[in-house]
Amino acid sequence: MKNNKMNVLDNNVMMEIRGLSKEFSRNGERLQALLEIDLDVVEGEFLCLVGPSGCGKTTFLRIVQGLIEKSAGSIELYGKPITQPSADRGFVFQQDNLYPWRTVIANARLGLELAGMGTDQANARANEMLKLVGLEGFEQSYPRELSGGMRQRVNLARALTIDPKVLLMDEPFAALDAITREAMQTELLRIWREAGKTVMFVTHQIDEAVYLANRVVVMAPRPGRIEKIVTITKTTDRSEDAKRSQEFHQAVDEIRDIIESHDREDIMAN
Amino acid sequence: MSNAGETTSEDIEEDKSGLFGSNETAKNRKRRRLITSLIVIFVGWELFGQFGIENRLFFAPLSEIAVSGYENWISGELQKHISASFQELLYGMLLATIFGIAFGILIAINQSVREHCDPIVSALYATPTVAIAPILITAFGLGIASKVAVVFLIAVFPIIINTTVGIRQTQESFIETAYSFNATRWQVIAKVLVPSSIPFVIAGIRLGVGRGIVGVVVGELFGADMGLGIFIFEAGQTFDAAPQFLGILILCFAGMALTGLLQWTEKKIAPWHHFALDEE
Ligand SMILES: Nc1ncnc2c1ncn2[C@@H]1O[C@H](COP(=O)(O)OP(=O)(O)OP(=O)(O)O)[C@@H](O)[C@H]1O
Ligand SMILES: [Mg+2]
Repeated sequence: MKNNKMNVLDNNVMMEIRGLSKEFSRNGERLQALLEIDLDVVEGEFLCLVGPSGCGKTTFLRIVQGLIEKSAGSIELYGKPITQPSADRGFVFQQDNLYPWRTVIANARLGLELAGMGTDQANARANEMLKLVGLEGFEQSYPRELSGGMRQRVNLARALTIDPKVLLMDEPFAALDAITREAMQTELLRIWREAGKTVMFVTHQIDEAVYLANRVVVMAPRPGRIEKIVTITKTTDRSEDAKRSQEFHQAVDEIRDIIESHDREDIMAN
Repeated sequence: MSNAGETTSEDIEEDKSGLFGSNETAKNRKRRRLITSLIVIFVGWELFGQFGIENRLFFAPLSEIAVSGYENWISGELQKHISASFQELLYGMLLATIFGIAFGILIAINQSVREHCDPIVSALYATPTVAIAPILITAFGLGIASKVAVVFLIAVFPIIINTTVGIRQTQESFIETAYSFNATRWQVIAKVLVPSSIPFVIAGIRLGVGRGIVGVVVGELFGADMGLGIFIFEAGQTFDAAPQFLGILILCFAGMALTGLLQWTEKKIAPWHHFALDEE
């Protein structure tokens, strides 16, 4: 087997994040959700973010999407500062957020419609993406007629229709059962390869991160920050077998150790 | 969109009624149950009128009401009254619906308008606005204009309130989804807030119709030259129970027909809306 290492340093940095901080104030109290995040995102990579609950993963993704403002630092995509959502970034929410009053295809074309594209053209594009996520034949169904896994596929297709450079995914498979989740992981990898996107993927599950990612960003809480970035060595064909390999378990253990060492510190501090 | 929805929701109805063990479609079952109820009521009414009550000043069996209906129809009287009342209700409801939805949206999305107007709308909703009918009749005369005004005033408040509630109950994450595609404020209103509020708006119109029918009758009682309210009132002056019940029954069926029409409309424009406890 050819060990095709993906060396990120050889590739183009598309997104540059420097000293990114976010402070919330709640009931007059300040909360440092993110503190001085530095991160380079490489074109075409699959980047996973893991970390304990409340360490600011969602907040981070939202800032990258331009849904909320940062408090300090800079974040640039292809050299241009990010200030608001735009077609170069697509967001996949944890809850699928499909509009119950829209059919599957009408949900999928939402982003194009909002960008002012005509219905026929938008439908054609949405159809293509529904096919890509394996939902051919369900175009005219309503969301309540779909299973959780299918709804997440529509969610993904909706983000893909606008043809973003970067896909931001916030625990998209968290609500799915284990079997559906594994199927979705494999699908996502296939789509990632076929569509040639850069992916930033938040998850709670370390094995999911190791299975999917080229690099895993391990975050720590209070204040939310990057603890370590672990590069995952893997063969290009990520088969399910990869999950049984020695390397896989080593990487999972390494990340678990980092996170747990923090939990211990936390418990001692309290 | 409505075409596709129609097929889908009907397919499901059939599927599920099969699932619950009978071959009857949900539509047929509903119709059968309604007819059963009506037969029980009508037979009970006739028997009670014939044998239960002696005094014909208070009550009339269905057969007498039917005779009265036939006579008034032949003379052409009934049609004139129905047409007048119907127009009052129709125009009043149209105005109330258009204005109520527009103003309801404005209250929901504009904080300044909301803080100025919301408490007043709530107060007026609770006020028996029908009491203002005499003033409106003095102002607009005995023709249909004054009754249109009464219907409008009494029906508009539930429509405003329901529209506002419908828009404000929209899931925040739905709005955020639109914003993640860089939607403008107007797009969020048109593509998220308004569609999500449709079932509430229709419920508001239903409440409005109920109140509007009351408005028609009460308005006419205070002064009108034509209409079912006047028809009932005049029959009351001569202590004739049958035409009074005739008028009341017509109003009752008008209410049912309008409610049915609204339910049908909701199915057409909001086929996605579904109540989990319904079997179909
Ligand atoms: N709008 C807000 N206002 C105030 N505080 C907020 C807001 N959003 C998030 N926070 C706080 O910021 C911190 C990080 O929240 P965030 O949702 O980003 O965490 P997370 O890593 O995504 O957690 P989880 O894994 O549970 O989803 C939390 O302490 C949270 O309470
Ligand atoms: Mg989160």
